[in-house]
Parts: sequence; C-alpha cells; structure tokens
Amino acid sequence: MYGTNMTVRKRLTLTLILASLAFVFLMGRLAWVQFVHGEELQEKALEVRMRDIPVEAKRGSVLDRNGKELVISISVDSIYATPGQVEDPRIAADKIAPILDMNADKLFEKLSKHSSFEWIERKVDNETAEKIRALNLDGIGFVEESKRHYLDPGLAPHVLGFAGVDNQGLTGIERSYDEELRGQPGRIVIEHDAAGRPVPEALHQYIPAEQGHDLVLTLDETIQYFVERELDNVVTQYNPKLALAIVMDPETGGILAMGNRPSFNPNDWGNEPREVWDKNPAIWYNYEPGSTFKIITAAAALEEDVVKPEDQFYDPGYIKVADRNIRCHKAGGHGSQTFVEVVQNSCNPGFIEVGLDVGIKRYYKYLDAFGFGSTTGIKLPGEAGGIVIPEGKATNLNLATMSMGQSIAVTPIQLISAVAAVANDGVLMQPQLVQEIKDNGKTIFSMKPEKVRQVIAADTARQLRGLLENVVAIGTGRNAFVEGYRVGGKTGTAQVVGESGGYVNGRYVASFAGFAPADDPKMVMLVVIAEPQGGVYYGGLVAAPVFQAIARDTLRYMRLPETPGLEKPTRPYEYVEPHIEVNVPDVVNYPADEACRIIKAAGLKCTTYGEGSLVRQQTPGPGAVVDGGTTVILDLAPATSRSGSGAVTVPNLRGSTIKEVGYVLEELDLRLVPEGSGVAIRQSYNPGAAVKRGAPVRVVFEPPGGSQETSPSLAAVETQKPEIIISPDIH
Amino acid sequence: MGTRRLVKSLDLTLIGTTLIIVMFGLVIVGSASTDFSWLKQLGLDMDKLQNSNVLQRLLWMKKEYLNKQFTWFLLGIAAAAAVIYIPYEDWRNYTKHLYVINLGMLGAVLVLGHTAMGAERWINIGPFVFQPSEFAKIIIIITMADFLANREGRLRNFKELVPCFVFVGVPLLLIMAQPDLGTSLVFVAVLFSMLFMASSRTPLVVGIFTAGLAAAVGLVWSHLKFGTWMPLHEYQLKRLIIFIDPWSDIQGAGYHVIQSQIAIGSSGFWGKGLLCGTQSFLEFLPIRHTDFIFSVLAEELGFLGALVLLTLYGVFLYRAIRIAAEAKDTYGSLLATGVTGMITFHILVNIGMTVSIMPITGLPLPLFSYGGSSMITNMMAIGILLNVHLRRQKIIF
Repeated sequence: MYGTNMTVRKRLTLTLILASLAFVFLMGRLAWVQFVHGEELQEKALEVRMRDIPVEAKRGSVLDRNGKELVISISVDSIYATPGQVEDPRIAADKIAPILDMNADKLFEKLSKHSSFEWIERKVDNETAEKIRALNLDGIGFVEESKRHYLDPGLAPHVLGFAGVDNQGLTGIERSYDEELRGQPGRIVIEHDAAGRPVPEALHQYIPAEQGHDLVLTLDETIQYFVERELDNVVTQYNPKLALAIVMDPETGGILAMGNRPSFNPNDWGNEPREVWDKNPAIWYNYEPGSTFKIITAAAALEEDVVKPEDQFYDPGYIKVADRNIRCHKAGGHGSQTFVEVVQNSCNPGFIEVGLDVGIKRYYKYLDAFGFGSTTGIKLPGEAGGIVIPEGKATNLNLATMSMGQSIAVTPIQLISAVAAVANDGVLMQPQLVQEIKDNGKTIFSMKPEKVRQVIAADTARQLRGLLENVVAIGTGRNAFVEGYRVGGKTGTAQVVGESGGYVNGRYVASFAGFAPADDPKMVMLVVIAEPQGGVYYGGLVAAPVFQAIARDTLRYMRLPETPGLEKPTRPYEYVEPHIEVNVPDVVNYPADEACRIIKAAGLKCTTYGEGSLVRQQTPGPGAVVDGGTTVILDLAPATSRSGSGAVTVPNLRGSTIKEVGYVLEELDLRLVPEGSGVAIRQSYNPGAAVKRGAPVRVVFEPPGGSQETSPSLAAVETQKPEIIISPDIH
Repeated sequence: MGTRRLVKSLDLTLIGTTLIIVMFGLVIVGSASTDFSWLKQLGLDMDKLQNSNVLQRLLWMKKEYLNKQFTWFLLGIAAAAAVIYIPYEDWRNYTKHLYVINLGMLGAVLVLGHTAMGAERWINIGPFVFQPSEFAKIIIIITMADFLANREGRLRNFKELVPCFVFVGVPLLLIMAQPDLGTSLVFVAVLFSMLFMASSRTPLVVGIFTAGLAAAVGLVWSHLKFGTWMPLHEYQLKRLIIFIDPWSDIQGAGYHVIQSQIAIGSSGFWGKGLLCGTQSFLEFLPIRHTDFIFSVLAEELGFLGALVLLTLYGVFLYRAIRIAAEAKDTYGSLLATGVTGMITFHILVNIGMTVSIMPITGLPLPLFSYGGSSMITNMMAIGILLNVHLRRQKIIF
C-alpha cells in the first residue's frame, strides 16, 4: 500500500526538487564568492599572510625656476640581515661589527634571531657599505635609501626648510609640500603564518619605493644669491637682530627670492639654534612698517579722490589729532608743499591729514583689500597675519598713526604683496612659491597666476608709481636709485615696540619697499633690517642701498632694457645729522655686560677699558647729552674692593626690576631685602658706597608709573604720553 | 540468504558514492591536517611543493588524522553491517528501550560531560571520546519513524501532532542544554522531514514549520531590537546571526567565516592545488579538518573540486530518496526519509556556513569532515538506508 502511494511519491519528488534547488543555490553562492569576490578575497588572503617592512622612498628634488637643483636626495645604503640565511652568525658578527663600530655580541644575537628580517644599520656612508659588501656574506643585504642634501646650504634655507631623519619634511617647502616630495615607500614583504612566524623562503619580495615628485620653485637661484650676498653685507655692517629681503614678480605673484638673517645650515640643522630655523621671518615677523606703509595710505587717498598730487599742504612741524600733537620728524616742519612733495619728504603731518580725510571706514576697506590683518596663504608653514586694531575700536588717533605706518603690525610678505599690487596696476596677486610639480619629468602641476582682487584702479596705481618714482629720483629714497632704470619705492624707519609695550629708544626697523622699472614693474622688493647696530638706522641709509645693490644686479640679470637718459640723483641721500640727542645712561657700578647692553640699547657704542666685572667709571658721564652713535668708554674694576678688605661697591639699582636687582646683587655677594613690587626706586646704600660682603641691601620697589599694559605693540599706542614723537622717521 | 543475492540486492550506487566521498574526504583531511611545520620537517618549501605531482603530495601528507579517520571508517563499515544485519522491521520492538537509553546517554553528558569549546558534548569511555548527540540522531530517526508509523492516518490536525513534538522535544531539550544548538536543529529538520512524509495534511506541516521559523526569527529580531528574552547564550546567538555580516566582528565570531571566505574566494576555478591552500596550511583557517573542511577543499581544488563533491552528494541523496520511495512499508519509508533529511540538513548547513549564508552551528560535513562519532553515525545511517533497500520486497527472505 505505502510503496505505491502516489502522494508519497509526489512528496518525495518535491523533496528531491527542493534539495536540488538548495544545491544549485549553494553552488551559485560558491561561484559568487570565488569568481565575483575572488580578486578582493585573494588580496585579503595576501594581506593576512604578509607582513611588510617599509622601505623609504627617495624624496623628490627641489629646483629653482630655471631647473637648477637646490635640494636633492643622495643614495645611501642601509644594511639588513636575513638571519635564516646567515651561515655562521658568529663569524659574520665578528666581521661586520668592527666596521660599523658595533658590539659584536649584540650583532651576533641579532643574526641568530629566529626572524626573517633585521636591520643591521641604516643609512651608512658609501665607504662603509662597500667594506661590508666586500665581505660577501650570505644573508646580509643592502637596501638603497636616501638622505637629503642641500647643495648650497646658504641659499634660502628658511624657504626650502629641511627634512628629518626619516625624510619627513619638518620646515619650509619640505614640510608644506611633504606629501608631494615624499613619494610612495616601498616594502620588503615577508610571508607569515597565522601565529606570526615568518615562512622562510616563502614569498619574500622587494617592492621598490616610488620616488617623490620634483618641485620647481618660482625662486631664481641667481637672484636668491644676490639677496644672500647683500644680506651677508648687512650683517657685517650693521649686525642687526634680523634682516630679510623678498623679491617678487608682481605680474604672477611668484617669489623670486626670499632671504633671512640670521640663517642656518639645513644640512646640519640639528646643531643650529631652534629659534633660527624654526620660523621664517619673511612670513612670520610682525612689525610696524613705518613710512613704507604710506604707500597704502597714498593708494587709498588717491583711489578715493581725497587728494590730488598737486594739492597744497602746509606742515608747521606737528599736527594736532584729538588732544595730542604729533610731530613731524623734521624740526620746524616741511612748510608749504604739494602732495607730490609730501610723499617725497615722507612728511608725517601731510600723510596724517590725508589719512584722516580718507576716514576710518574707507581706510579699513583698503587695509582689507590689500590683505592686511590676514595671512596671504603662501604655502609655507608658520605664516603670521599681522595685527590690525579692530575697526570698531579704532580712533582717529589710531588712524593718524596708521597713516604713517605705526600702530599696525604687518608681515613682510603682506607688505610686499600689497606693494606688488601697486606695481601690478592695482591687482593683488596670490604670492606663490611652486611653479611646477613634476612626476618623473612629467609635469603634473603648473602654477597659474592667481588674481586675488583689484584693489585700486590701474590709473591710480600708475599715478602712485609716479609719486614713488619721485621718491627715489629726488626724495628720501635716492640711495635706492639704480642707474639706467626707473625705480620707485618708499623708505621706512620705525621704532620697535618693546617687551613692556611702548616704543624703545634706540631700536628701529629700517626698511625699503620698491619696484622697477617704474613704468612697467618686473620686480618688487622689500628689504627689512631690524635693530641695526652702530647708530645708523634710517631706512634710506640702511635698507635703500641693499635694495639698490640687489635690484641693480637683478634687473641686469633679467636683461631688462635700460631706460636711456635717466638722470642720476645729483647727490646721494645722505645722513643729514638730525641731532638725535641721546642722554647717556648711568651704568656706573653695573656689571660690564649689562652696562654695554644698556648703552647699545640707547643707540650708543660701547668699549671697555681695564679688567673687572663692574663699571667703575664711564666717559661721557651719566646724563651727558651726546649724538647717537657716540662711543661710551667704560672703565672696569673688579667687583670686590681693590683693598681686598672684603668690601664691595654697591651698584646703582634704580629702575631695575626685582629680578634684575636680585641678579646684580647676587653677583656682588650682597643680600637683597626687597620691599614692594615693580621697579626699584630707592636703595639703602648710595651707589658707589663700599659695604661688606654679604651685607643686606634694602631696596624699595614701586610699580612703574602708569603703564602696566602688557599687550605689545598696539596697546602701546593707546597708552602713549600726550606729546609723542611717534616716528623718528625722516623720510 | 546467499551472499550473491545479498550483494545483488544492495544499492551499489549508494555504496559506491559513499566510498568515493569518504576517500575524497580522507585526502582532504590529510591535506587540511598537514601544517607548514610538518612540510618544513620534510625539507620542503613552496617551490618544491608546487612542482610536485599529486602522488608525491599524497605521500608528503601528515598521516595522523588520515589514519584515524580511516579507522573510523572501518569501524563505521562494521557498524553499518550490524545495522543491516537485523531486519529493520524487528527494530520496532525495541524502540521504547532505545528511546530511554538515548535520554540516559544525553543526561549523562550533562553530568559527566567533557567540556570543549564552551559546550559539553563528549563522554570519555576508556580511550575513546564519544559524542552521544551524534548517535542520538540515529536513535531519534529509528524511534520517531516507529512513533509516526503507529499514528499513520491520524496526523491530520494540530492536536494529533502535539505528541510528536513532545516525543522529539524531550531529547532535543537535553541536547540544547549541553548546549549543542546544531544537533538540536538537526532534530528539528529530521522531525519535519518525517512529518512531511507521514502526515496526510501537508499544508498543516508546512504551516507549522513556517510559523515556527517565523517565530524563531521574530524572537531573535526582538531580542536584538528590544533585548527581550532568548533561550540561547549570547555567543550562540552571535554565531547564529554572524553570517549576515561577518565583517562586523572580524576578530571574534566573524573570524572563521571570513577566513573561510578568503580561503574559498582566493582559489579560483582550479584551486591552489593539494597542500597548497595557503590559508589552510598557514593555519589561518581554524578547525579546518572538521567544520571547515569544505573551505580547504574549495581552496585547494577550487570550484571544480567543490562541484565534484556536491555532485556526489546529489547522487547519494537521489538514491536515498529513491529508497524512501521504494520502501515496502511506511516505517521503512520514514526511516529513509529521516536519514535523507538528516544528511541533507548537514550538507546544506555546513557548506552554507563556509560561504556565509548559514549560521555557524558546528555541524560536520557528512562522510567528509574528520571525526569518529560523526563518521560512525553516518555509516549507521547508510546502514539504515541499505537495510530498507534490501528488504523492499517481502519475498526475498
């Protein structure tokens, strides 16, 4: 009955069909895993099995705009071992260790490890590698790695930057273009089983690294060389705290040269002071530009039509803004003059008048448009953005001082970009550094000049260039004149804002911003020299000649046609004795080093006489009024009294902070009994008194009068004394 | 009965297919259990291996598991012979005893069990490790077939089906308590395949099955979504649902499945060659000579090898279903159906697991995976089939 039951047969047939379908489905899934996902899974299988050891890629070269190599990577050998293949680790270790100056036992341990790859030493020089190669040992291999080499270490190190031990870009272009330069690291791939044990003689392959891209910079090696040479001269002559020069192509925004002092050797950066290589002053240094900024004021005023070149001005020697008088650098003033002459003379009251006419709102429009207060976006690490008083907080006094380049901080790259805009018919260009990126000789990126915005009309720019050409031809910028070329520019000298806020006597920033040829500028240059030593600090005297020297060579190098019939200024701009009178500071009984620092800070020179650590006498004496740059002779004496009685001479402590007082007294073996805080105003022994060693000296400190403002530069402007000479600028 | 007549009455196709599957399985077990260090001891490397022929490779294999498996197979033949010897109709007299013995065995596991991989499944008897849940499958088929045959024609509504569920439910719960979810599911598969055949109301059985499946899915879903109660450990649940997205737990529950997929997916049509399955001999593929033997097969012999094995199983199951159809009585037909259901379920779930369309349940691939209890159980199941086939005509004896 059952066996012939049709229902059962039907059900069994159904079962068979269902089972077959299930099998077909399984095969389908299998096929999908194997053939559709196969490749992906094959890769995954390899990934699980392979462990790699990265091999550094050769970093790309850096070239100048003409293809001259600036930075290259040189090949060095790294030595590794495949311990399984080393025949006798003992012998091998004993042979290799002395060449590499290693511990033979440690090396032996390494060579006997149960592993398939061990570095022995990385990046050895060729000679050493050859010696080891000559041993011809089994299981010892060589991998080519690379090391950075800066062909001319003196050339633009701040721009190029440098790369670290693992060839990672740390500063400059090396850092900002690290990704492009770095390349693809290669691998030594070793097969491992699930437990992580290497599989000897299994897949063991070397995948070579892919070289990084080459960078072609906008820099011109030759122009950069002119810059470096002149900066060296500046250092020899003035030993400034900081000196820099930037040369730019106004039409493209390409940087042709950028140099800084102090400088460093990128091949040996590890032994250079960090503060020198850490920052590139050309893009980072915030300073008050002084009169060079009058270019911006003039641009705004001309564009807004508040002034015409032939407008008449009268400078009585000062100008009253709000309740303060701001003096002109020229005693008695420039008298009656046109705006052309105002620019030519760099007349402060003239510019202030013009600036006030422009008004805060419109003036700020131009500050923004020229790019002040924000970074330019040049592709270098560590760019600063300058400091601009917020528009809402700006007073007319601020506007007055800004008109002459004070109470605003700019970076050199901002200022040169702005001046380049004037040179480029009013169009602000994006400053750029990289002209091309090449992958194995094939160009994969090509720089396009980037127009940021039209700041002023082309006509205005042309008119302004005429005024600035006048400055060089017959005005304060005569020292920048280059024979055969029409040069325009503006000098600047600004006081440095000290650490405590407020301007510091004797510390200046001299600068010159200019362009040539004035009718169709092909180069724009900014020279900034901060705190030149030796008494001369005027932009027209310190910075303009640097501009002149670089510009002369650059213009000729660029083969720009000379303009015939140009008249050389009849006489060079000279240091017109401005009777800058300096009160000689009192340094008697100061430690010698400290005394010299004070004297130099006051704009005087210092020489010492005799032996000892304390100043016994000074000539000229304290309080004497002398011309800036005069040498003060210091007569030194030992800190202890000559008689050897154990007595010491009490120094003058007035005006020093607790820290300074403490330091000085400790030197003399005296005990400080401080009272109050601030700066010293009274001391229990008169300066010069002889007291016993270890005697207590009571010093009364009081907060310094009024100015407790700590915020530098800008705050200083607002806390100035009613009667201020803001700019000692005479240009 | 004469030997010649007996041999003539045996299903030689079924026997032949079984033999080929087992031999095939032995080769793959040998390959799967050969690890890299073994080859290294023989002084072999990848190059030598890839340049060698099949015969050499067979000789290089590690023989330990292969030999054991062969021993199990011989024992299996003996067990099958024993099963064939007693006419299946006579078994019906002892089904009650068998059922009780089964419960006793399963209870003993819970008490004396030898814990492995978080579950108590083994009992040590002398030198042997013995897995009662394997044999429980055979016993449940034999007793259940009797239970259902006795109720033939009376399984028309839900009420009449309830005793069947209780009958299977008791041993099933004991196995779940071990816990051995895979074998429990085998019980469910066996129950429904036999009910499908025995009930006169197919839609009812299909309906209950569908409802049960839906309920199970609903339970899991609700647990995951709302954290409601589940009769499973978290790790069991995880293994159950990891196939949906194995990459969600690469180092944990998904690891096996991913490694298996990598092994299978990286092989292509022809495979990497015997002994050359890198996922397997570098030991990435876990429990590869047992649960994941199919992955080794697919990695080393490719799509082709997998196709051959599935075809062999297809032939095997076709013969089994024929035996069910040709059985002389309901009991015989139900026995064959139970065996077919059991083996089909194992194949689908095991292979499905390796290609990530089925949960991880730890069910071995019948006749192929390494394992003594499993081999003997399956050989006994084949004995049942042959027994039913042998006695399809009453007149023979």
